[in-house]
Amino acid sequence: MKIYDVVPGLEFDPERDLAQSPAWFLDATHSVPPWTPMFGWFWINFCRHGMQYGAEELSLPTVKGWDWRFLRGGGYLTLLLVKSEEEKQRREVAFRSRILPFIQDYDGLWNGFVKEILGRYEELKALELDTASNIQLLDNFEQTINTCRRMWEIHMYMMYGTYIAYILFENMCRELAGIDDTSPLFHNVVSGFDNKVFQVDRRLWEFSKEAASKGLDTLILESDPSDIRKKLEETEKGRQFMKEFRAFMNEDGWRMQRMSEMNLPTWVEDPAPALGMVKQFIVKGGAFNLEEERKKLGDKRAAGEKELLSKVPSEQRGWFEQLMRLAQKSGIFSEEHDHYLDLYTHAMMRRSALGLGKRFVKSGAIDHHEDVFFLIPDEVRRAGINPDQFDLRYIVDRRKADWAEWQKTPNPPAILAEGFDLDQAMKVLVQSNDPIALKVVVGSMPQVRPELKADLYGTCGSPGVAEGTARVIMTEDELHLIKEGDILVAASTSPSWTPVFSMIQGVVVDRGASLSHAAIVGREYGIPVVMNVFEGTTKIKSGQRVKIDANLGTVYILD
Amino acid sequence: MSEKWIYWLEELSKADNDLVGKKCANLGEMTSLGMRVPPGFAISVHGYEKFMEESGAADEIRRYVRDNLPLINDVKRQVAASRAIRQFVESKEMPRQMEIELHTHYVKLCERVGQEKVGVAVRSSGAVSMPGQMETYLNVKGARELTRNVIRVWSSAFTTRAIAFRLAQGMEMEKAPIGVAVLKMVNARCAGVCLTVIPTTGDTSKLLIEGNWGLGESVVSGEITPDQFYVDKTCGEFECVVGDKTKMVCYGPGGTCFANVPEEMKRKPCLEEPELKEILRVAKNMEEHFGCPQDMEWVVDDDLPYPENVLWVQARPAKYAKKKESEAEYLAELMSRVFKM
Repeated sequence: MKIYDVVPGLEFDPERDLAQSPAWFLDATHSVPPWTPMFGWFWINFCRHGMQYGAEELSLPTVKGWDWRFLRGGGYLTLLLVKSEEEKQRREVAFRSRILPFIQDYDGLWNGFVKEILGRYEELKALELDTASNIQLLDNFEQTINTCRRMWEIHMYMMYGTYIAYILFENMCRELAGIDDTSPLFHNVVSGFDNKVFQVDRRLWEFSKEAASKGLDTLILESDPSDIRKKLEETEKGRQFMKEFRAFMNEDGWRMQRMSEMNLPTWVEDPAPALGMVKQFIVKGGAFNLEEERKKLGDKRAAGEKELLSKVPSEQRGWFEQLMRLAQKSGIFSEEHDHYLDLYTHAMMRRSALGLGKRFVKSGAIDHHEDVFFLIPDEVRRAGINPDQFDLRYIVDRRKADWAEWQKTPNPPAILAEGFDLDQAMKVLVQSNDPIALKVVVGSMPQVRPELKADLYGTCGSPGVAEGTARVIMTEDELHLIKEGDILVAASTSPSWTPVFSMIQGVVVDRGASLSHAAIVGREYGIPVVMNVFEGTTKIKSGQRVKIDANLGTVYILD
Repeated sequence: MSEKWIYWLEELSKADNDLVGKKCANLGEMTSLGMRVPPGFAISVHGYEKFMEESGAADEIRRYVRDNLPLINDVKRQVAASRAIRQFVESKEMPRQMEIELHTHYVKLCERVGQEKVGVAVRSSGAVSMPGQMETYLNVKGARELTRNVIRVWSSAFTTRAIAFRLAQGMEMEKAPIGVAVLKMVNARCAGVCLTVIPTTGDTSKLLIEGNWGLGESVVSGEITPDQFYVDKTCGEFECVVGDKTKMVCYGPGGTCFANVPEEMKRKPCLEEPELKEILRVAKNMEEHFGCPQDMEWVVDDDLPYPENVLWVQARPAKYAKKKESEAEYLAELMSRVFKM
């Protein structure tokens, strides 16, 4: 059986693991649909490492991060709680000095990490995969593993520190200014910042303008995203456009189609998703000006800041303003970390693994280069230097069969010990005060209020009311189906979905909290977002008319 | 030709600290960075040494010290020594050639500012900080008075505290690295400080300007509530918190003194928008040049037209970290409470 372990040491074992913790939660945001084995190996090992690293480096008083297990392509997680009061107090004292770098020089801290990780990517990319020796390819793969490990350290350290400030800011807004996170003023204050993801979107929007000026807009509008490139290459002007577009992709296209998976091409390999976004901007129309939209939000924020500060007693204003500035980094961090950390590292993982995969195919160790995603690093190492000596196809075959099985029956949202129910489990999560649990993973539980007679109940990610046609989107390659004025229904959203927020009227997501992608971007675009409805994608069908009231957290299916 | 010992401020820079003392070197540096400072010149430490040797004062001090050294280890005798030595120094005439050079510079200064017998401030400018060397003589008019007061500043190197300090440090008694600054008296309409960081929050996007009518001493004294101007560094927009300016510092016959602010000026902002703009312009340049937040002292001279009237008398790195630290620590403590909800 040993050979079937996908994440040795961290496979879910019901007997032992439920004795350790009575509740394990599926990470539905990232591991539905189930991961390929290699991706699961990376995520379970290093996301787990990063969370514990971040909690320890910051000496979080009540939690030591999370424990993860792998089960049928899914990631299951549970909290590691600090057990004694005495230890909590000790950790709290240390926490107060460990958090200071975030307060004193947030930008310096974050920019330093970005520089470090980009430097690692450059080193990885410096190797020409086609001409490298087997030893060099294997070494590149080992470095990629280390990069992924480091990425998660930075990721979780920053995420914990950043979100603690955000939570405190929410609390203080309630206490000192009397506004909560459904208040438009609150949303105005935390949105309207420029960040790397918006910069990429702006470039895509500029390309849509350029396509129009070159007279290529009709061709793009009439083509399916996957055909745009081919059709453009048929004309001189189109070739010129694609040359510029490829240059842009080489710089900013190191990202995955699905955020937490490696078996789909990066934008560099296949720019169809990016060209699809250019198409979306053309659909949106000539008068649409992304730049102006952004500026309006910035102005609203400046006015909001003044209003908010005036509500705070003047003797408290000093630190409150400092806290506000810090909390404002949360939105920027949420978007930028996906770009610089997750998406980019996963693109590097794909690049390095495929380099070896192609070599393995040449030597007959596997049949297809993407079969490498059904191996785990130890098995890759087995054949790394001398792939001609090994036949790994039997491992690939078994794993592929397993993977196909995983797709058929979804993983349960939680695995609980006998006599322990979901409400109890949720309570433990909330009581942990773990910032990531509160703001990203679980969020607050929706309150079912029968008197509202809604079809679904959720929480408010971004305030507002909207009515429109529902569009259920499960993966990024369906994004082009979205039409102006739709209401997007999804399990969750990720950065590559950001551009469609400029077209839609509202969002319903199955899972999420106030610092999830959908909530942050919804606030940036000023559209209502209802989250944590759990069954949105199963109950709502594309084409149905729906009405959402994010302030109340309700969704009505009108048809 | 004897060694040069008087320098125009424009000739100096930070590198001349040992030559003319800290205050003069700073003013020179500020000039070279494009800040307007009160017009004036500096007397180097060589000027001091030249005077001491040529006038014979140095010899007298050496003799006095030789005769009394074993005895001046207690405060009473140090007081006596100070009195005696200052007596030697202040009784000496300035050597003829030195006096001519000094007067030539003074006349040139008068020509520059277009005033006959212009009033000047004569200040000590130590190359190393030494306690007691804080002598300043204000509103000195005419060449003879200038000579007398320069000698008085030199003599201030022998205050009781300075003598005690030299003994404790094992320094030679007649040697003192002391320079003198001779600056046009500013006819201060208003004055104050300018910080390129908000000291309470560490916010570096804004400038904090505090000011009051008259000389700047009142602003730092804490006796009055000065006007506060928060100026946005990028757009120049500003917010003014008018202080209750009941008193101001003026020159009086015996130096500076507090005076009552006329009723109609108490609630009137002491700076106007163009002056704020000029302060902002210079402050941004300084901060950029030094690469860290600055704490600067400005004064608006009523004798001069805008923008020449906005003068600077001091620039140093701002001390805000400590304040910021405590805000940060407070915030860190609040953050730890997030885990107790």
